[in-house]
Amino acid sequence: MSRRDHASTPSRRRPDRRLVSAMMLFFFSAFLLLALKGELRWQGFALAFAVPLLIYIATMWLPRFFPADKLLLAIANFLCALGVLVLYTTDLDGGTSRGLQQAVYYSVGIAVMLFCILLVRYVRNWRFLIKLVMLGAAGLMVLPLAIGTEQNGATNWIQISGTSLQPSELVKLALLLILSYYMSRRKFWTWMLFAVFCLGVLMLQKDLGTALIYYITALFMFYANTGNLPLTGLGVLGGVGAALVGYDRFAHVKKRVAIWINPWLYYETHGYQIAQVLMAIASGGIFGVGLGLGAPRVIPVYFTDCIFAVICEQFGIAFGILVLVMYGILILRGTSIATGARSSFLALLAMGATVMLGIQTFVIIGGVLKLIPLTGVTMPFVSYGGTSLVSCMGLIGFLQGVASINQDDLEYDYEISHSLGEAAALPHADGL
Amino acid sequence: MKQLRTRFRLLTLVVIALLLVAGLYGVYSVTIYGSRWFSNSRNTRYQSAKRTVIAGDILDRNGVVMATTDSDGERVYQSSIKARRASVHLIGDREGNVANGVDSFQANYLLGFETSLSERVAALLRGETRRGDDVTLTADSKLNTHIVNAFESGVNTKGKSGAAVVMNYRTGEVLALVSLPVFDPQNLTESDRNNAQHPFWNRALQSTLAPGSTFKIITAASAFENLSDIATHQFTCTGATKVLDQTIHDYRMAQHGNLTLERAFTVSCNNAFAQCALILEDAALRKTAESFGFNDNFLFRDLVVENSVYPTTNRNLVEVAWSGAGQSQIGATPLHMCMVAAAIANNGVMMEPRLLLQVKGPGGVVRMRFTSKEYRRAVSTDIAATLQTFMKNVVASGTGTAARVNGLTIAGKTGSAEAAVDGQAVTHAWFVGYIESSKLPYACAVLVESGDSGGSVAAPLAASIFKYLLDTYGK
Repeated sequence: MSRRDHASTPSRRRPDRRLVSAMMLFFFSAFLLLALKGELRWQGFALAFAVPLLIYIATMWLPRFFPADKLLLAIANFLCALGVLVLYTTDLDGGTSRGLQQAVYYSVGIAVMLFCILLVRYVRNWRFLIKLVMLGAAGLMVLPLAIGTEQNGATNWIQISGTSLQPSELVKLALLLILSYYMSRRKFWTWMLFAVFCLGVLMLQKDLGTALIYYITALFMFYANTGNLPLTGLGVLGGVGAALVGYDRFAHVKKRVAIWINPWLYYETHGYQIAQVLMAIASGGIFGVGLGLGAPRVIPVYFTDCIFAVICEQFGIAFGILVLVMYGILILRGTSIATGARSSFLALLAMGATVMLGIQTFVIIGGVLKLIPLTGVTMPFVSYGGTSLVSCMGLIGFLQGVASINQDDLEYDYEISHSLGEAAALPHADGL
Repeated sequence: MKQLRTRFRLLTLVVIALLLVAGLYGVYSVTIYGSRWFSNSRNTRYQSAKRTVIAGDILDRNGVVMATTDSDGERVYQSSIKARRASVHLIGDREGNVANGVDSFQANYLLGFETSLSERVAALLRGETRRGDDVTLTADSKLNTHIVNAFESGVNTKGKSGAAVVMNYRTGEVLALVSLPVFDPQNLTESDRNNAQHPFWNRALQSTLAPGSTFKIITAASAFENLSDIATHQFTCTGATKVLDQTIHDYRMAQHGNLTLERAFTVSCNNAFAQCALILEDAALRKTAESFGFNDNFLFRDLVVENSVYPTTNRNLVEVAWSGAGQSQIGATPLHMCMVAAAIANNGVMMEPRLLLQVKGPGGVVRMRFTSKEYRRAVSTDIAATLQTFMKNVVASGTGTAARVNGLTIAGKTGSAEAAVDGQAVTHAWFVGYIESSKLPYACAVLVESGDSGGSVAAPLAASIFKYLLDTYGK
């Protein structure tokens, strides 16, 4: 079958050249504006060309080799590029070069996405591989406990030759593969034990935000797979119970809740961060103070946890809502891919990736908007950080992999029905 | 597989709903709290904006410039030291010690954050420094000065802390907002910083104290709402009503004998009102208090006001009895008590207090003009009319005769609220009242901390305010 034929099948998503061109133009002009602002900045010029190029490669060039969900791809790449842009604006008067680094991570992310697509698309027999994945993930998980460093109250980082790595982010990909593989084969205890092990290690590392995301993802996938409401309800109750115990036992959880209720009371100490976040969002108003303006650097960890506040300050709450809508579309596309899958392994994998992205988005954006207590998780695709970006692109890779198989299946159906139709039209067809 | 897909859609719905809630909450909180977050004195953004934008002027309702920016970019207040001291809590000071003054709370206008893009570009092309908008207030600077002078020179009030609020009860426009002691916003001294009376504190908006007998307006309203025969009910005041193991006593141990609610209001009898509260019970009285705005989250557009409190916990009978006379953990700000009197005057409708008249762009174009808004209906028109009579009696022949002004019909209610300050029992003097006149629709609240009798200490200050209003706006 030639590529032309691919494109002619009924449900094939046509690449929207206009959408991608608009995205490329947006980022090109944004980086150019920043590069020309005040003094000339070579980093801005470099990014003005590099970022649109990366967008082109990921959304227009890669899908030539396999059928893809273009809208999903376009949105994920827009968010990645937005992260690079916002990080670059915070570099302008700070002497950091997070924008440039994030662009490098972005290109690594595209490579990982490709790897995950290939993994899902071409690996047919997971029996042996999944055990290897499990072993590797378990090893990665305990690594920070052995050689980790503490950052912001949680020991979830390791240092390898100068670069720091957050293994729990990478284990997310393995977790999804393991959960969907064993769930689809009804091996309850295998996935359960692995999930409990991961949660236990995360608790030991005091990385409660990530633990929350792991827990909800596993619970949602369990419900999707079995439809067992009583056990799912028990799981929810268990989660609430664990949260209450955590509130009682961990002083820093108590602090977070108190800050959430009224950050201004604790302004001088722990409430400082969320208070600064709220002031930044309020300063932006509806349409923002403008690209590269505002004072993002006064917010603690503006480049990871609080990057949504920086977006809202520069582009306004209106744009912030649009970003939320993009995540919403991402989730709808993910669900559509999951419901289109023909095997329960692929369906669960796609659904798990979707739920994971959705929950993580809610936890961080809800936290920044003070709807729920702020926990230290990253904003998918946008936050500064190699491991976070890479794992999110890996999730997109899973989704694209499943989408490509769905597409192949559809085309196969199409072919069959066609040949059936042709056979029926022939008067002397034997045996039909 | 089909069931699997149904469950997938359900889960997606949950996740999408969560994101939707986050988005809606974000829009809601930015709309409602945005200006409060932004104008927080800790926000370094508008301090940095001050370096690049010339802050606009603040004018009072008569065009008096209350604050402007000089050629060095420094904020300058009125040249008369008396005038700028009197309005310091209303406007703010150079160091930002006063919370939520107009200078900081309206910074988004004053520093031109509302300026449109085209205006910004035009200013950039002309090479000019950007200028913020000018803000015109509903306040009368001279009235503020007049009140502070009267307070600081009064025999009974000199050196004391207190507050006064004057507002138009038909529109909610705030004419005066004074908190004492005052200080000079341009030349802060060490004694201002170390003053035990905390002059930086805006008592009119931030200090919730027991309203004392001024709260009897609300108790009486509740009685008329809930008890059908209250107009003829006879209370007995022996000067000592026994409740549980305690006695309710009256100010200076007075005994009033048999009396109706109307008479009890006029002479401000605690015993009658305590009995009235016991008949009403806690829940009914709280409900009326809440319809007057107690326990509400005040989110007025132009003013940041501490919320007033009527306790929601289960309380014993002594506490309920004292609530009838505005004691026992009830707390309200002078601004809110002024709104209570204003609501009675305005036939039961409480207006939202407002401070901004209009905002003008640097070119003189009016950018925004603000309108009055009803805050809530506090009480029915009939009951408001009855209470108007009650309050007129107080000034004509009751505890508030010192508030009388020749040529005006004044209505009001005194209060002498008992409180403990540093373990010592003190009595705060209150007066709330209004002028009955369509030409001079003004209400006021006066608080003198540790002032003792509301009738003899706070009421004369109110009289002097009413006199000023008559002389200035009565012609």
